[in-house]
Amino acid sequence: MKNISMRSFATLFFALSIVSFVQAAEIPLYPTGPSADSSFVRFINGTDRAVDLTAAGSQAKIELDGKQPATSFFPVAAKTDIKGRFSSTGATADVSIKVKPGEFVSVIALNDGAKLKQVVVGEEPDDFNALKVSLSFVNVSAGCAKADLQVVGRSILLFENVMPENLVRRSINPVRISVQLLCAGQSVGSPLNLGELIAGERYSVFAVPSANGSRIFLTSDSVSR
Amino acid sequence: MAVGTLAGIFMLVIGESHLSLPGYLINPLYEDLTTQGATVHEVGACGASAGDWLKEGPVPCGADRFKGEAVFKGRAATTIPIKRLIADDKPDLVVIIIGDTMASYDNETFPRAWAWQSVTSLTKEIATTKTPCVWVGPPWGNPGGKYFKNDKRVEFMSNFLEKNVAPCTYIDSLKFSKPGQWATLDGQHFNLAGYKSWSQSITEALASIPSVQSLKK
Repeated sequence: MKNISMRSFATLFFALSIVSFVQAAEIPLYPTGPSADSSFVRFINGTDRAVDLTAAGSQAKIELDGKQPATSFFPVAAKTDIKGRFSSTGATADVSIKVKPGEFVSVIALNDGAKLKQVVVGEEPDDFNALKVSLSFVNVSAGCAKADLQVVGRSILLFENVMPENLVRRSINPVRISVQLLCAGQSVGSPLNLGELIAGERYSVFAVPSANGSRIFLTSDSVSR
Repeated sequence: MAVGTLAGIFMLVIGESHLSLPGYLINPLYEDLTTQGATVHEVGACGASAGDWLKEGPVPCGADRFKGEAVFKGRAATTIPIKRLIADDKPDLVVIIIGDTMASYDNETFPRAWAWQSVTSLTKEIATTKTPCVWVGPPWGNPGGKYFKNDKRVEFMSNFLEKNVAPCTYIDSLKFSKPGQWATLDGQHFNLAGYKSWSQSITEALASIPSVQSLKK
């Protein structure tokens, strides 16, 4: 992030859409929950070049690059328009989405020839568990049909046959592992060390297109506060 | 129950409406815990969910009891940021009694994402202070009433909390009684006899947790 802090950006980007349950809920004497479940959106750079993300109606900007390819999940109001723009060396792609209650949406910038495009992948998780690591595998590499993630040094497939533009999530124990991407059963690219995965935390491995076919990287699925 | 099972432990207890009104849990629990030798500071905030304890905000009613009689604050009550409470009190243990305010009894769909964010934001905030914590889940009520409390959802809520409150230790209040066993005023809040039973059960459960016992002085 180069131009402003993540928190400042979030404030500007979603100033009109951040949910305030205090305001949104019809509060009886003792409320027992919100009027609608929370919704979240984040932005991912799935290209091999730096991409700027700009909020609609604002000059606020986040630069997503190889070191920081993903934002945190920002809380947003469900069913409202979230608008912005990805841009990179003259190429742009408009961001326009709506998020359902309880949904976590990833908006991914991908190369489309010399242009940019957005791919949207959402999930409504039900696996929340502070004693396990939650890991998802998101395949947005069109050239990698039937993607697998294999644990390096073992014949275990963490994820199997994940089709492009799909997400699969599972719980695992908090262990140190490296994973290898397989496309149609063949190893592609280098192994990825996932490092120390912490129980209760949520992570995603993204498979995106690359000059060599496909590559993978890890993101934390943390929520912005 | 033996006396002095919680000797010398300073407990900061935060919670929802059960800790906020005269005749509710606040006084029986204070008396049971102090009888066992604990020093207790209770802070109640009606309708406050877990995440509400990260900031100060208004609540319809609340109470505070610390070294004296309970002070019931009515609409002047607020939530207090947990980090401020911990910094001021420097407790040995934080006890959280929250569940009914987050169960969405009147909503067919349980707001999982909201509940997860709310619960984990509080447990992570407490974890940054390195203060041990115990989370007391919701008890059985009586189906219906103005809060629409129901057995199926309270069981779901309890299971959800049990999976998500770590590093806090979970106390499952559903094990203390049978559904409907403790009489309520409105389906959710007990009469004094019910609160005394819940209080005794919580106190015994706290005294049975090895990590809590290790805090005795």
